[in-house]
Amino acid sequence: MLFNDFCYAWKEALKGLYRNRWLSLASIGVVVVTLLMLGLFMLVSLNINFITTSVKDQVEIVVYVADDATAAEREELHALLSKNEALDEVRFVSRAEALQRLKAQLGNLLEGYDLDAENPLPDSYEIQTSLPEAVPEVAQELEGYPAVESVYYGRGVVENLFTVTNALQWVGLFLMIGLAITAVFLIAHTIRLTVYLRGREITIMKYVGATNWFIRWPFVLEGLILGFWGAILPLAALYFIYGAAVDWVVSNNLLFLNLLPVEGAMLELAKYLLPLGIGLGILGSAFSMGRFLRV
Amino acid sequence: MIEAVQLAKRYDKNQPYVLKDVNFKVERGEFVFIVGQSGAGKSTLLKLLIREILPTSGTLKIFGQDLRLMPERRVPYLRRNIGMVFQDFRLLEERTAYENVAFAMQVTGAVAQEIARRVPAVLEMVGLGDKLEARVCDLSGGEQQRIGLARAIVNRPSLILADEPTGNLDPDTSMEIINLLRNINIRGTTVLVATHDREIVDRMQKRVIHLEHGQIAGDQKKGVYARAF
Repeated sequence: MLFNDFCYAWKEALKGLYRNRWLSLASIGVVVVTLLMLGLFMLVSLNINFITTSVKDQVEIVVYVADDATAAEREELHALLSKNEALDEVRFVSRAEALQRLKAQLGNLLEGYDLDAENPLPDSYEIQTSLPEAVPEVAQELEGYPAVESVYYGRGVVENLFTVTNALQWVGLFLMIGLAITAVFLIAHTIRLTVYLRGREITIMKYVGATNWFIRWPFVLEGLILGFWGAILPLAALYFIYGAAVDWVVSNNLLFLNLLPVEGAMLELAKYLLPLGIGLGILGSAFSMGRFLRV
Repeated sequence: MIEAVQLAKRYDKNQPYVLKDVNFKVERGEFVFIVGQSGAGKSTLLKLLIREILPTSGTLKIFGQDLRLMPERRVPYLRRNIGMVFQDFRLLEERTAYENVAFAMQVTGAVAQEIARRVPAVLEMVGLGDKLEARVCDLSGGEQQRIGLARAIVNRPSLILADEPTGNLDPDTSMEIINLLRNINIRGTTVLVATHDREIVDRMQKRVIHLEHGQIAGDQKKGVYARAF
């Protein structure tokens, strides 16, 4: 493309947007609404992922050692836990240490009890694993050892958590695909309307000897501009909405809702929404033109 | 310039031929009327000449090139060498006279200075030197057709094709437009005018090709419309 034609195409694109300013605004509106919904959903889904991952990281197995276990049995359990590769970190917590912790946690609530004389707590192992999905199986296996009194890992909670997050991710995926298809359809339709309104102009251009690309460029650029603004505006809106949400969570001390930081989440979102908006705009305009070029 | 040999066209296999056994030649610098009633095939012939449609059979050569063999991507360059004038003017009504003519030059990738120099000169030539900035929708039919003519000649084509250029104009204005076309012809451009305006054809005393039911019923040098019947 010659520099001359390039300037012409940009000028025409801007003029075209201005001449059909109401339709242009409508197209941007359509893109904004769809991408806003898509963006909101992505934010929710990103955060669910983030929370799930951090909860997964916190999944811990606690193995309580039976009081009447023999030294040999204890030895066997210790060796077993140490060499299991699925377990990242195995920490022995003696009954004395456990009592210290309990005292620290409950403080003066324990006044009046002489727990040092008769410590009711068992020895235990606290185990971290990077494979939270494997936790139920490991727990079951451990329960079979004579030195083990019981195994605690938030039974049920872990299983439920995985079911819920899996389901949410699937629902999210389908919703996003649905919204994206709706967006493509609406944008293509709106741009087709722009092209249709300018059908006369396009026909005349063909008669005076314009090449197809010469005609197409301004529309492609129009689509690009529409898509760009259609992505920037919802990103800006989401920045404020999400920022407010994070502030709210912090100010209400709902810190167990471990949300993604605003900047990081926005960058992640922009990575998808900007190319999506621009791509939709360009594709929409390119596909909408075909009929008018056949003169 | 133009050569048609056994040219035939039908739009659909189940429909009759719109043009059949059409043979003629137009030399460089000629002024030719194509006459005939509505449906005689005039418009189809013009569409074939700008390669909006392809012949069903026969050959049609223009500037020595066979239009049936011309690849699609060459078509814009063919059209830059042909100026088209339409009955309904086909102007961008919301734009000025200047913009409408400049449009045809921009399409060819002409530089801005060249456009700024040439467009006023051409509009002056068709008698609209004082209406450069007037919007098309504020001008009369005759003035609009002058813009159409200016647009057709601005790229210095070797051929002008006019499809009923006076169809929407009163007799006096029609004569002015035809005189402009004659002036363009005198400067060396070949002009082909499809019309059923009897008075103009008779007054101009130019070559007349008469089409009837898609076939050539007469081809006379210095012909008149009436004699062909």
